[in-house]
Amino acid sequence: MVNRILSVRNIVKRFGGLIAVNDVSFDVSEKEILGLIGPNGAGKTTLFNCITGVYKPERGKVFFMGEDITGLPPHKIAKKGIARTWQKIRPFRKISIVDTVTIGALLRYGDVDRAREEAESILEFIGIPKDRFHKLGSEITLIEHKLVDLARALATKPKLLLLDEVAAGLRPHEMLRLAKVLTRIRDELGITLIVVEHVMRFVMNISERIIVMHEGRKISEGRPEEVANDPKVIEAYLGTKLI
Amino acid sequence: MVLVRVKALDRKTITQLLVVLIIFSLLPFVLGFNTYYIYLAAQVVLTAIMALAWNIIGGYAGQLDLAATAYLGIGGAISGLLLAFYKITPWIGMPLGALAAIGLAVMVGYPTFRFGIKEVWYALLTASLVVIIQRIFWLIYGSTEIYLPYFEWSWYYLRFGRYEPLYYMLVVMLVFVLWLNIVIKRSKLGYYLAAIREDELAAEALGIDVRRYKLYALMIYAGILGFVGGIYVSLTSIVTYRMFNPWLAIVIAVIGLVGGLGSITGVLTAAVILRSIEEYLRGTLGATIPGLYLLIYGLLIVLVGVLKPEGLGGLIESIRRRFRGGSYG
Repeated sequence: MVNRILSVRNIVKRFGGLIAVNDVSFDVSEKEILGLIGPNGAGKTTLFNCITGVYKPERGKVFFMGEDITGLPPHKIAKKGIARTWQKIRPFRKISIVDTVTIGALLRYGDVDRAREEAESILEFIGIPKDRFHKLGSEITLIEHKLVDLARALATKPKLLLLDEVAAGLRPHEMLRLAKVLTRIRDELGITLIVVEHVMRFVMNISERIIVMHEGRKISEGRPEEVANDPKVIEAYLGTKLI
Repeated sequence: MVLVRVKALDRKTITQLLVVLIIFSLLPFVLGFNTYYIYLAAQVVLTAIMALAWNIIGGYAGQLDLAATAYLGIGGAISGLLLAFYKITPWIGMPLGALAAIGLAVMVGYPTFRFGIKEVWYALLTASLVVIIQRIFWLIYGSTEIYLPYFEWSWYYLRFGRYEPLYYMLVVMLVFVLWLNIVIKRSKLGYYLAAIREDELAAEALGIDVRRYKLYALMIYAGILGFVGGIYVSLTSIVTYRMFNPWLAIVIAVIGLVGGLGSITGVLTAAVILRSIEEYLRGTLGATIPGLYLLIYGLLIVLVGVLKPEGLGGLIESIRRRFRGGSYG
């Protein structure tokens, strides 16, 4: 039997009159790569925020490794082993790359020197050249931002990593490189991934299973090719037929 | 959990601290032990201590705190009143003052950080704190100045007929606060505060308990000021509601900003230069153009804001980087 690492049960999150996430449930197995797709405003990022504690859902529960983590503050959820990256980059502008990742590593290593060693090996793993380590957050390119965001999340030694549109804005060859890094994160580090993505080809290639959201609801779930041929999904993406 | 792991200080740090210690120790000789100048020098060192304490909450943690004199005043009031009314030595009064300031910091910081009061709102809240405490003190003790007992030379009561002993105490305090700044900057606490300053939400997602670490920073800042308050009242010889000076609290924050957020060298330099200019202008042109130094502060803020938002520290750092060929640290 495959172990469930994350169980989301009947999550509801409203913003005023708008129901951003409406009764969504799903499970994630250990060491799985799960894709989460849907048109703009489908509620994917809100769902992420409910899982990571940025928002408290009105209803529903989130279980991580069998434990109810609903409504815990983000830092406690991070400590339990869920890390995330951000759709809109949130860089530490006046902090160097290596220090940024060191901050992530300090969650598991109290000693700064030890955390820095860890940070350097993670940066190497991610594929950032050594001569860029001391660049400040304000001095690096978009792809580097995405990679540093990924690296500092990895540095917290998560069991589950939530990636919010990591591929957005990248060139095709950069995406290819990123896809390889993500697969290595799962294969070599044994980390479970949930990937929110707009770039269809990217997410279809990398994910083993896909959940489709539309207007706050889960409308489809299955293997990539199943989901791609689901009439409900096609309708959500292309809109309803005119009568 | 080890917050600040005190490592064996490396040689470079010791050298830097020694240089500061020696320069400030020699200053009275340069000033010819002139009473007035020593008093001004003590004020300059006091300002530097306050600005470096502020650097921990304002520079490292990025919280625009405008309540420095609330904590300084609380410490000074406790130490001073204990001495004036009960003849209790400041050596007991100063730690008690520090504890009281830390207590006040927790009372203010806990709810403030709990409800996520940030940026402008935090600045306004802390600015009004000074005024509130000042009014409370005024309600209890009125506007009369409470004089500390006079002793020609008493280390026990920290009262002297001259300013030199207090000046040297302040210099020792300055070196201590400098050391504390350096140690914190290199510790887990320093890294976490920097992350909080840059982006609270991202910091939180990396497992950092943002509220708790902000409160630590505030407590350290308040503790230093509360302790130094005892030396401050001894220097001025009076306990008065005027110690809770909103203007000085703002000046401290301005020095921290002009020095460059989080830059130890920049803040120290800014404190010494700005305070000296202020005293010089007050001494020379104070009678003809009163308040000229206010204008200078205003102009400096504009200049730094426009030309070099990283402050003096940023300027020093970029010069350093140029000479070292891009190495950072």
